[in-house]
Order: sequence, then C-alpha cells, then structure tokens
Amino acid sequence: MSFPKELKYTREHEWVRLENSTAAIGITSYALEQLGDVVHLDLPKVGESFKAGSTFGSIESTKTVSDLYMPITGKVTEVNAALVKKLEGLSDDPYVAGWLIKISFASNDGELMAAADYQKLIAEEE
Amino acid sequence: MTTAEIKKTPLHALHKQLKAKMVNFGGWDMPVQYESVLAEHKYVREHCGIFDVSHMGELIVEGKDALAYLQGITINDVARLELGNGQYSALPTEDAGFVDDLIIYRVGAQRYLLCVNASNIEKDFEWLKKNQGAHKVTLTNESTLWSQLAVQGPESEEALKAILGPEDQKRIAELPYTNITEASFQGKKGFVARTGYTGEKGYEIYIPNTIASSVFSELLEKSNAKPIGLGARDTLRLEACYLLYGNDMDETVSPIEAGIAWAVRFEKGDFLGKAKMEAQKAGTAPARKMVAFKLEDEGIARHGMDVYVGDRKVGVVTSGSVLPTVEGAGGMALIEKDAAALGDKISIDVRGKRKLAKVVKRPLYSAKVK
Repeated sequence: MSFPKELKYTREHEWVRLENSTAAIGITSYALEQLGDVVHLDLPKVGESFKAGSTFGSIESTKTVSDLYMPITGKVTEVNAALVKKLEGLSDDPYVAGWLIKISFASNDGELMAAADYQKLIAEEE
Repeated sequence: MTTAEIKKTPLHALHKQLKAKMVNFGGWDMPVQYESVLAEHKYVREHCGIFDVSHMGELIVEGKDALAYLQGITINDVARLELGNGQYSALPTEDAGFVDDLIIYRVGAQRYLLCVNASNIEKDFEWLKKNQGAHKVTLTNESTLWSQLAVQGPESEEALKAILGPEDQKRIAELPYTNITEASFQGKKGFVARTGYTGEKGYEIYIPNTIASSVFSELLEKSNAKPIGLGARDTLRLEACYLLYGNDMDETVSPIEAGIAWAVRFEKGDFLGKAKMEAQKAGTAPARKMVAFKLEDEGIARHGMDVYVGDRKVGVVTSGSVLPTVEGAGGMALIEKDAAALGDKISIDVRGKRKLAKVVKRPLYSAKVK
C-alpha cells in the first residue's frame, strides 16, 4: 500500500489530485485492498454536478457495493471510460491510471487530509 | 452478536496463518478469501481448491425405524438409498416451507448421516426431536466432533489421492457421484463423499477435529490444490444454481417453488407438506418459481432486489453476483409463475435504476460433477 504525498485524502478512502480549480478523484489502495476484486463501477456522466459529501457513483466488489462520495462540490468534466472497461487498472495503478472522474470546482469546500493524516486514520480502523 | 460468541472452526488459526480475510458468516468467523475471489473461483474451475466447511452440521439418525421416520420428514425417497448412497433432500415444514436443505447418506443398515447447513444445526436438531413421535430412533448431533473439508475441481481426485493410502485411493476413484465411503486420514477414520457445492467434480471429507489442520496442510503440500474462501464458494455455487438457505429459500418457500421438484418423491408415501407441494405442482395452489437470469445491462443484481416485468413487480432476486466463468452478471430470482418464461426480458431495480435482464436456463454453468 502506498499513499503519495502530493495527493489529498478523504475519510471515505478517496484520493484527490488538485490542480488549480480542477481535481482528479480516485480510490486509495487501502480501500481497494478492503474491497477485494472490483467487478463493477458505476460512474456519473460528464456535466453532472454534485455537492461535497453526496454520492456520485458506486464501486462494487464480488461481495459488496460501496457508494462513492464527492470530496469537493463540483461538476464532472471527464469520466475514465477506459477504466470501466478494464477494472484491473484500479488495483494495478490506483493513483494514476485508476482515476475515476475529473471535476471542476469553484471553491475547495472538501474536508481533505494530508497523506500522513490519512495513514493515521486507517491505522485506527485496522 | 458479540465477538465473544463468534464460533471458530478447528482450522481458524491455519486460515489466519494463510493470510485469509475473515468474515462473520452466520455466527462463524470464516475465511471469505485468501487471495482474490475471482482468482480462487477460476482455480477451482480449472484445477482444484480446498474449502473449510467445518461449520456445516452432522446429525445422525439411527435405529429400527430410521427409514420410516426419515421418509415422513424429508422430500426425497430415502428407501432408494443403498448402503453408501447419498441424496439431496429437504426437511419441509407442515406448510411446505424449508426447515433446511441437506444431504442424507446411508452409512449403516439403519444409520443415516444428515449433512445440514451451519446456521440451522440447532433448529434442525430440535425439529428432528419434535417430529420423532413413536419412532424408535436415536438422534445425535455430532457437529462438534467432525471437521469437514471440500476438495473441488477437475484435479480433485488426484489431490485427494495424494494424501490417501493405496486402498482408499482405489475406493475414491470408483466412488459414484453422491456416494460416501470410509477412508483413513493420517491414521484416523474419516469419510469421503463424492459431492460438492461448486458444479465441479469433487469430494467432501469428514475428519476428526484433531487432524483437521494437518490434513488441510497436507493437501496443500502434496497436491496442486489451493485454499478457497467462502466468497468463491458462493460465486461457484451460484453459477451451478445450487440453492443457498436463507438467501434463495427459507420457511416461506417450498421445494416446488425453489426448483427442486425433481427431489420431491410423492410416490414414496406421506410426508410433511406433501399435500401443498402436490397442489403446487398440479397448479391448483399458488406457487412462484425460481428462474435464472443474466443481466443484459451493466451492473450487478443482488439478493433482495425487486424484479419487474414492465411496470409490474413480479418477484425478487434471491441470489445475484458476477458470474466469473459464464461472464457478465446474473443470478436467481423467485417470481410469479406466469410472469416470464425462458428467453423473456425482465428488469431489476438495482439501487433505483432499472437494469434489463433475460430469463435463461438453469444452471447458469453446466455442472461437471459426474
């Protein structure tokens, strides 16, 4: 498991790569390990808007379905369609090829954590 | 359920050592996966896997009236069992629901071994006692004495032979499907049954708790077999359309509805729930039916999701998952009898979104058990 320092993290085990007023969003390697084999991803359409904390999709493993929560209020600008077709990409490369959606946002209203704080959080969960 | 009450099989420490991910399954702390559900599923279809199924129950019915007694409380015809034969059956309620489904083996002239679901052991045993009446039988719950391992897959015979002596090797090679025989494991007496819950050729072995871990380890060492968790056990059985108690059926579903009418032997005489089952089969009593389905839209249907034909709700998904060997997703659903036939389209409410599915033949994966 790795947690790149340049990314931000949420309590819902998502990572966020911030670049000016846009962000790429994915799932952490810890979450993927907990889920097991991912068999289905349900992602939103380009143009849809979501408030921080609301559900924007779901990720399904062989046994469970988990909602995906929007880290920052924003609008979907890109969806990783290639990943939906090739789900192995998620665990192979969760932080680069494994991005789910890209969004544009007006203000960063999310409760985001640094990598070290996120690692502390999951240490408590273990 | 508190952690203090959670039950463990004699293999628990070994699972931890093998780095299994553990889950609470009906009150038992069991391995859901060792590596990956999908990889384990594939390995069983192509090679061989070992499952700890020690949580399953073993009830013994023995005595002069054992046959007559069992005939009255089960659906299948126990009289057809010769020594060493086994059969799939069910314990029905008076109202034709399932108390449990089970396999009955004849292990002595007047002695039968009932292999029952883990979550139903106490309930079944009470049911057996309650329905004993004047029958001269002795009922014994031996569940805590036996560990059970399932060895499943096209290479299961070779795997099992690797840990057996020459005579036992010969005996299991000749063992017909659903039959049971004695065998010696590490010098201790056990049983081998040619049955399983995966849709592949396989065996279920009954061994004393004291050697459970060492037999499991010996199989891993001496054969091609890998440990398989309950996650893959569920996807394997679902592809083969084997019923799972508590998911596909319970006391509110009848064997006719659940699609095992082939195991209901009306000609054997009277048994609990017979009148209602006969009426359901004849179409004079209302009955739903179990169908298999494959999703045509993206997504996965799960237990409990509603099934529609057009805008009308016609039933519910009883089991649903990805289907790793068949590919895609699908499962089984209990629907109104005339709502949809083979090849018809149904739709399933997957978390608020309607997903199109097609009714297909059962099983979803053609079992290669024989």
